[in-house]
Amino acid sequence: MSVASITAGPAAAAGAGNGAVFVSGDLTLHLLRRATFGPTPALRKAVKKQGRAAWLNKQLSPSSIDDSVCDRLIRDRFPHVNWTIPQARDGLEPFSWDLMYDVSMATIARATWSKRQLFEVMCEFWSNHLNVTNPSDRVWDNRQDYDRRVIRKHALGRFEDMLIASATHPAMLLYLNNADSTKDNPNENYGRELLELHTVSVNGGYNEQDMRNSTLIMTGFGVNWRHGTFQYSGRDHYRGPVSVMGFSHPNPDADGYSMGIKYLKYLANHPSTAHHLAYKLCERFVSDSPDAALVDRLAATYLAKGTAIAPVLRQLFNSDEFAGSLGEKTRRPLEDLVATLRVLDYKPDRKGRQGMQALVWISEGLGQQPLAWSPPDGYPDVALSWQSAGGTLARWNTHLSLAAHWWPQELRQPPLVELLPRRLPKTHGALVDALSKRLVFRTLAAPHKQAVLGFLGRSASDPLDSGDEAVRWRLPYLVALILDSPYHCVR
Amino acid sequence: MTAMTTPPQKCGCPDYSMSRRAFLGRLGAVGALAGLTSTGLSTQMAFGAGPYTGDVLVVLSLRGGFDGLNTIVPTGDPRYTEVRPSIRIPQGALLPLDEMFGLHPAMAPLMPWWNSGDFAAVQAVGMANQTRSHFEAMEEMERAAPGSSLRTGWLDRTLGLRDTGSAFQAVQIGSSMAASAFRGPSPELAMRSIDDFDLSGAWDATERRRWSDALTGLHAGAPPMVATPAATTLGALAGAAAMQDAGYTPDADYPNSDLGRAMRDVARVIKSDVGLQVAAVDYGDWDMHTDMGTVNSGWLTDKLSELARSLAAFATDLGAKFGDVTVVTLTEFGRSLVENGSGGVDHGHGQAVLLLGGGVNGGQVHGTWPTLERDALAGGDLAGTTDYRQILAEILEKRCQGSSSVFPDLTSDRLGVVRARG
Repeated sequence: MSVASITAGPAAAAGAGNGAVFVSGDLTLHLLRRATFGPTPALRKAVKKQGRAAWLNKQLSPSSIDDSVCDRLIRDRFPHVNWTIPQARDGLEPFSWDLMYDVSMATIARATWSKRQLFEVMCEFWSNHLNVTNPSDRVWDNRQDYDRRVIRKHALGRFEDMLIASATHPAMLLYLNNADSTKDNPNENYGRELLELHTVSVNGGYNEQDMRNSTLIMTGFGVNWRHGTFQYSGRDHYRGPVSVMGFSHPNPDADGYSMGIKYLKYLANHPSTAHHLAYKLCERFVSDSPDAALVDRLAATYLAKGTAIAPVLRQLFNSDEFAGSLGEKTRRPLEDLVATLRVLDYKPDRKGRQGMQALVWISEGLGQQPLAWSPPDGYPDVALSWQSAGGTLARWNTHLSLAAHWWPQELRQPPLVELLPRRLPKTHGALVDALSKRLVFRTLAAPHKQAVLGFLGRSASDPLDSGDEAVRWRLPYLVALILDSPYHCVR
Repeated sequence: MTAMTTPPQKCGCPDYSMSRRAFLGRLGAVGALAGLTSTGLSTQMAFGAGPYTGDVLVVLSLRGGFDGLNTIVPTGDPRYTEVRPSIRIPQGALLPLDEMFGLHPAMAPLMPWWNSGDFAAVQAVGMANQTRSHFEAMEEMERAAPGSSLRTGWLDRTLGLRDTGSAFQAVQIGSSMAASAFRGPSPELAMRSIDDFDLSGAWDATERRRWSDALTGLHAGAPPMVATPAATTLGALAGAAAMQDAGYTPDADYPNSDLGRAMRDVARVIKSDVGLQVAAVDYGDWDMHTDMGTVNSGWLTDKLSELARSLAAFATDLGAKFGDVTVVTLTEFGRSLVENGSGGVDHGHGQAVLLLGGGVNGGQVHGTWPTLERDALAGGDLAGTTDYRQILAEILEKRCQGSSSVFPDLTSDRLGVVRARG
C-alpha cells in the first residue's frame, strides 16, 4: 500500500478490507500512532510545529525531555518502585505482592502520562522481550529493581548492556531458574531461553549441544539467598571446554564470570540476534509481517552501531517501508486502553492512586495487564493473537465505561462536551464528522458514517440542537461507538 | 487471551480481505443458535467439518493445591495417622471406598454417583516437574508438554485438532480471563457468567439491535484482523442474549456460591446446545497452610462440601446430557504429607484427580498406591505414580474425538478411567 493511494478516497477503498482505509494518511499521525501510546490533539499540534524529525530526535534522547510532571507523579504515588532489593526486603512483609503491583500501576501511569512516549513504548517492548512475569512468586523483592536497572536504564541504550544487566539480575536468574542451576545439576531453562528468546532466536543456528553448553557457561550466575542480590558462585560453576555457535572457551577456572560476560557479548553481537531484534522491532512498529529488506538493513545498523538501539529506531521510522505501512498494525488491549485515556484527556487521581489501581484491574480484564504475561516469551505482538470475543467485548465495554466516567471515577476526566467544537455543529452529520475528527483524527468513510447515524436514528442533514440526545445523555455511547470502530483499533 | 505460534498473513492484500458478505457469514456461523443474530443469517457451521460429537469436557481447576490425602483418604496405609496426628480424618467418619481408601464425609453428596459407577478418583497423580511453586506448577501443568518448547496450553492444542466451531465451543466460566491451558491460537470465550456477558450500553433488545447494527456497519470493509473478532463477539453476544432471554430454571439446587453459579452456567450452556466442547472453571482457595479444620467443620470441610454439592447439582441438572459430559479436576500439586505446626499442610506433590460423568469407570479409586513409606516418597511427599496427562489423554481419546498428540512424548500407558463412547 503506498502512501499516495491512501488519499484516493475511503469510499473507493472500502471494499478492500484494508486497514489503511481506517486511518488518516497524515504522516505525523502515522508516526504518533506507532511511536507513542496514542495521539492527542495537543501532541499532534506540537509535532506539526516542531517537525517529525526534530520530535523523533528528542524522543530518542528522552533525558532531553522535561517530564517533571510524570516523574513527580511516580515519586509521590509510587515511591517504592525506586527501592533497591535490600530496601524492599526491609520494607515489605516477606513475599508480599504489594511492590509488584506498584510496578504495574506505575507502568500504566507512565504509558499514559509520560512525555517520553517512545521511551515508554520501548520499555514495554523490552519488558516483553526479556520477560520476567510481574507479579510472580519469586520476584517479589526485586522486580522493581529489574524494571529500573535493566529495562528502563538501557531501553534506548545498547542491547549488549541490557542483556548483561538481565543476566546478572536476580529477577531473571530466579524467573528462569539459573539461580538453581549448578555444575552437578544444571537447569537448562535460562541457558535455552537466552538463545531462543533473548538473542539468536529459535532458528538462529544452534543445536541441543550448544544449548547444553549455554547452560554450563552460565552456571555460577546466581543469587545470594540471604540478601536476594546477584552473586557469582564459583562453586556451582562447571569447568572444562565449552562451545556455542562459534564461541568457545577452555573454561579452566572456577571463576567463569568473565567468560560468561564474554559469551553474553558474543551473543548480543551475533548476526542472528541482530536479525531477531530487527524483526521484532519491525513487528512492533511497522507490520505484522515485516518486509525482509527492511529487517536486513536494520540488522546491519544494529551491528555497525555496536548494538545501539536508537540508531536502529531512527532508521526504521525514516524508512519507506514505515511510511508505507499505514493501517497494518492494530492496538493490543493495553494500547487501546491507554490510547483511550489519552484521547479522552484523562488525568491521574487528584490524590492517592485508587483510579490508577483500577486501571490495572481493567487491563487484567482486557487480557493484557502490563508485565503479567506468564511464559518467558512476552505478550504476542501480532493482531491474530488478540482475536478473542471476551477480550473484544471487554474493550468495547471499557470504551463506554471511560467515556461515561463510570469507572474509575477517581481519575479526572474533562466534561465530555469538551470533545465537541465550541460552536455546536448544525446537523447530525456534522456532529459525527466533528466527533470523529476529535477522537480518531479523521472523518469516517460514508458507509461507516451512515452506521453511526443509524445508531442515532438520524440522517446526516437532520438539524442538531443542544437538547438532542446525541449531545446529551447519548453522547458517551456515541463516543464509545466511535472508539469501538476499526478507526480506533487500527494503529 | 491467545498467543500465535505461526506467522500471520499480511493484511491489506485483496485476497485476504473480508467482504461484508463474508463478515456477515462469519457472524451467522458463530451465532450457531437458530434465529439469534439480528441479521437472521444461516446458522450452519462455516468450515465444512462434521460437527463435534464427543463429550463436553469440563475441567475444574482446584487452584492453590488441593489436599487429596484428606479427601480420598488412605486410611489403610499405616503411616497416614502418624503423619497427620491432629488433622487426619478418623476412619470411623469416612465413607468406605475400598480396602485402602475412604471418602471425606463432606463429599457424601457425590456418593450416589459413586454407587452408580459414574464417579471415580485417581490417587497419587503426578507430573514431571515437581516444583512446589504455585505459579510454575500451574504453568507447567496447563502447558502439559514437559521437555518441549511448546508454549501453548493443552486445551488449545485439543481445540486445534478440530475446525473452529461455534463461539461457544470453548468457554471459561466464572472469570473474564481464560486459563493458561487455553493459551494459543484456538479461540475461547471467557466470561464471568452468562448473565454478565453483555454490551454494557445495550440494556434491552432494541438497544442490542442498535449496537449490533452499528458495529456491523462500522466493521464493513475492515481487514480480518479487526473484522473477525468483532463478528465473533457479536455472535457470542447474540448467543448469550438468547440464553439470557430464555432464562434458566435448573433441574437441581445449586449452592449459592461462585462454584455453584459457575457449574449452573456450564449446565445451562450444555443444555442450550450451542456447540460447547470444552468448559473450564476455576475453584480456588485450597492453599491450606494453617487451620484446615477437623472432619466436622473448618476450611477443608467447607470447601469439599461446596465442591460435592455443586458437582452433584450439576450432574442432576444435566439429566440425560450427563451421559455426554466428562468432568475432571486438576490441581497444581497435592499438599505435604506431614502436617505443619499450624494445623495445615504445605506444598507437596502427588495429587488426587476426581472424575465424574456418564462415561467414567466409576465406583473405584484408580492408579497405583505408592504407599507412604519413607523411601516411597517424592521429596518427602506423596509420589506420583500416574502422569496426569495419561488421564487426560485417555479422556480425549475415548470421549472427546481427540488424540494423545496433544501431549508430546507421552507414553501409551492408560488406566482405564473412562469407557469409549458408544
